[in-house]
Amino acid sequence: MPQMFRRGRFWIQLGVVVALMAFGGLLINNITVNLIRTGLGLDFGWLWRPAGFALAETALPYAPTDSYAWALVIGWMNSLKVILVGLLLATMLGVAAGAARSSRNRLLRSLSGGYVALIRQVPLLLQLLFWYFVAFLGLPDTPVGGLIHVSNQGIRLLGLNLSVEFCSVLTGLVVFTGASIAEIVRGGINAVSRGQWEAFRSLGLSEGLGLRRIVLPQALPAILPALTSQYLNLAKNSTLAIAVGYADLYAVSDTTITQTGRAIEGFLLLLLSFLLLNLVISGGMALMNRAVLGRLQRSR
Amino acid sequence: MTIAIRATDLVKSYSPGLNALDGVSLEVTTGEVLVVMGPSGSGKSTLIRTFNGLETLDSGSLDVLGVRLDAAHEERQVRAIRERVGMVFQQFNLFPHLSILDNISLAPIKVQKRAKAAAEQLAIELLDQMGIREQAHKYPAQLSGGQQQRVAIARALALDPEVMLFDEPTSALDPERVKEVLDAMRQLAKGGMTMVVVTHELGFAREVADRVMFMDQGRVIETSDPQSFFSNAKEERSRRFLSQMM
Amino acid sequence: MNRWLDRWLTLMLLALLGWAGWSCLHWLWHGADWTVVVTNLPLYAVGSYPDAERWRPLLCIVAVVVLIVITLLGPRHGGWRRSLPLLWSAMAPLGIWLLAGGLGLSPVGTQSWGGFSLTLLLTAGSGLLALPLGVLLALGRRSDLPVLRGGSTAYIELMRAIPLIAVLFFGQLLIPLFLPPGVEINRVLRAVVAFALFAAAYIAEDVRGGLQAIPPTQREAAAVLGLSPWQSLQLVVLPQAFRVALPSLTNQAVGLLQNTSLMAILGLVELLGISRSLLANPAFIGRYLEVYIWLAAVYWLACTAMALLARHLEIQLDPVRSAR
Repeated sequence: MPQMFRRGRFWIQLGVVVALMAFGGLLINNITVNLIRTGLGLDFGWLWRPAGFALAETALPYAPTDSYAWALVIGWMNSLKVILVGLLLATMLGVAAGAARSSRNRLLRSLSGGYVALIRQVPLLLQLLFWYFVAFLGLPDTPVGGLIHVSNQGIRLLGLNLSVEFCSVLTGLVVFTGASIAEIVRGGINAVSRGQWEAFRSLGLSEGLGLRRIVLPQALPAILPALTSQYLNLAKNSTLAIAVGYADLYAVSDTTITQTGRAIEGFLLLLLSFLLLNLVISGGMALMNRAVLGRLQRSR
Repeated sequence: MTIAIRATDLVKSYSPGLNALDGVSLEVTTGEVLVVMGPSGSGKSTLIRTFNGLETLDSGSLDVLGVRLDAAHEERQVRAIRERVGMVFQQFNLFPHLSILDNISLAPIKVQKRAKAAAEQLAIELLDQMGIREQAHKYPAQLSGGQQQRVAIARALALDPEVMLFDEPTSALDPERVKEVLDAMRQLAKGGMTMVVVTHELGFAREVADRVMFMDQGRVIETSDPQSFFSNAKEERSRRFLSQMM
Repeated sequence: MNRWLDRWLTLMLLALLGWAGWSCLHWLWHGADWTVVVTNLPLYAVGSYPDAERWRPLLCIVAVVVLIVITLLGPRHGGWRRSLPLLWSAMAPLGIWLLAGGLGLSPVGTQSWGGFSLTLLLTAGSGLLALPLGVLLALGRRSDLPVLRGGSTAYIELMRAIPLIAVLFFGQLLIPLFLPPGVEINRVLRAVVAFALFAAAYIAEDVRGGLQAIPPTQREAAAVLGLSPWQSLQLVVLPQAFRVALPSLTNQAVGLLQNTSLMAILGLVELLGISRSLLANPAFIGRYLEVYIWLAAVYWLACTAMALLARHLEIQLDPVRSAR
């Protein structure tokens, strides 16, 4: 805004500060009264008491006699498990589906379009429940080759035991986020000029090669920022795991708070955890953004 | 003979050592058409933008229509000036989401508190003067550059200003469109409007200006009547500039 | 060589799709037991609203559907078309009045609201609260005043980092702490407030993007005409910013509708919630597939309708197109 006014601003600023302070004061007053009344407050001692509840899925050894803190750590690991694998698979699915929209094969194009149109118009929670109750719990007992065994109690894959809960959360997240990523990839590819396609085709390069080596790299700068927010969405959406009984960070926090009643501390811990997760994902993507842009600059 | 604008020793800098305006003084009499010329970076745009408060001054004094605008001027004073000083920009800056009629009648209704019907009537009359009455209900995106600029002039005139400022009004237009805008400005001058025009259009300056002012690097190099300026400029820099333009 | 692979791939996919499609249709017609859907339609629509007053939420739903049909399929021109925005804005207070009662209708507590009517109300209520809050936050974030700027930025960034379920859950627990002791608000209201606080942060970012897209020359042009900063914001900047931000905002609206399903985890009986309680009923145990397909169809229709309305709105607000 042009610096046309000066003294008026000071009074406006003062007025706003006073109003905010008054409102804030009212809230703080209410909170303190209520906190004293209900006995809540800021005290983290309870973290070291025994949790008293069992967890179905544990990456590291855990027993109900372990502390709440340890239970939360296990929850963290369960979240990371599903988020990291989810990000990888969702990206693969999304890129494939997004690229398929530029395919010469009309069927492939419509399939991809139909997939996106269907998945994005149905709530994620509903999809998760579908995968859990209908798909994975309804699996018949079938061994597929020596290494894979599928049943309604999970999937045994190369020695790993993947629970029904993990599989449904993973599949739901991957399918849902994949659709959003597909749209982003499609937009990015569309932003690359037609001339590039004509150029590699006239050089005799196959569609697949041209897409991978020529078009996608140039679509990346347009894709990366939106991709970052989709990754963050996947991380946040993983908390819906509570609906199917997967013991992720949020689910464990929920149980902990219900048992100990320490809502405020629990909220702060959860807030910190997600801020950290947010930082890590955004930071990683920012580095990648810089690397990609750097390579593009140098090639000019 | 009243003085519409009196500027004394105006100084403005954007960064230390670089003065956009370096001690500019001038006087504009009522009814006069002053054309300001100079190479880019000479400070001519900055100068006329101080006349309606779009740019602030670091030092110096400026009297516009009797109102003092200096380094510490108040916002309310500036707004009062703007009803009496109209401005036309290089990029037209019409409001794309409003019809032509609404573009012109907005300020009369909201700032001068005129009745809607009266404001719209005024808008139609101004469009008539500009020769584009039939565009009243269209939107800016549907008009050519020359038409949009004429709407911009009408929009500024709707407030019935005493001074009109033009900041390179034809620089963004296709060559075929320039004439229609210059003609409108010519009409305005003939009607006795006080005008300060920053432009490269030498023909317009020669025919319409009462005085031509040449600026370079934030300073006024030379001011004279168009005849003398174009045929026999006093300063070396002015002559060099003119030879590049012609 | 590529052509041959292409054709073979297409044939395989077609065969696969054909088989899948056929088995689905066959199951839908013969294998599925649709009683869980058919006999409970009133529940899906209005939850356990008292029988005698059922017509009220039903009327609400019907009114919205009729309005959608008129807006999308009705004649393009005509003076009555101008009353459409008014009708749409009247929908929210009308809906609340019909459901809550008072002023001539017998009051019905929020614990009896449910089903699709609750879904609609949650979406509309949260949206209407979140929109002005989001605009204020966006303006605050772009403000020159450090207090406003810092506060808005902190709020927006925090809210966008936390998952919605956490905000809803803690909303239920923590909102009562902010109220003077003795004042209680019901679960539905707490959910709406928490949801609105969450959505406002996302709306703020969309509006901020719109504001950023408006060149400063527009503000200058408004200023030289003598418009005050507030007038310039209201008449020139915000209208244009909204048009730019419209696609993102309508996306948020669709997300709002879909996210009402999360309230089921908190125990509210909107569309998804009521389905879960139905599935717990011994009479309908195990009928997951039918119920979820039915729900998917309802949500899909609702979201598609919103998307169509959004596109309609975009066209209407594009000044050049609507002038024709």
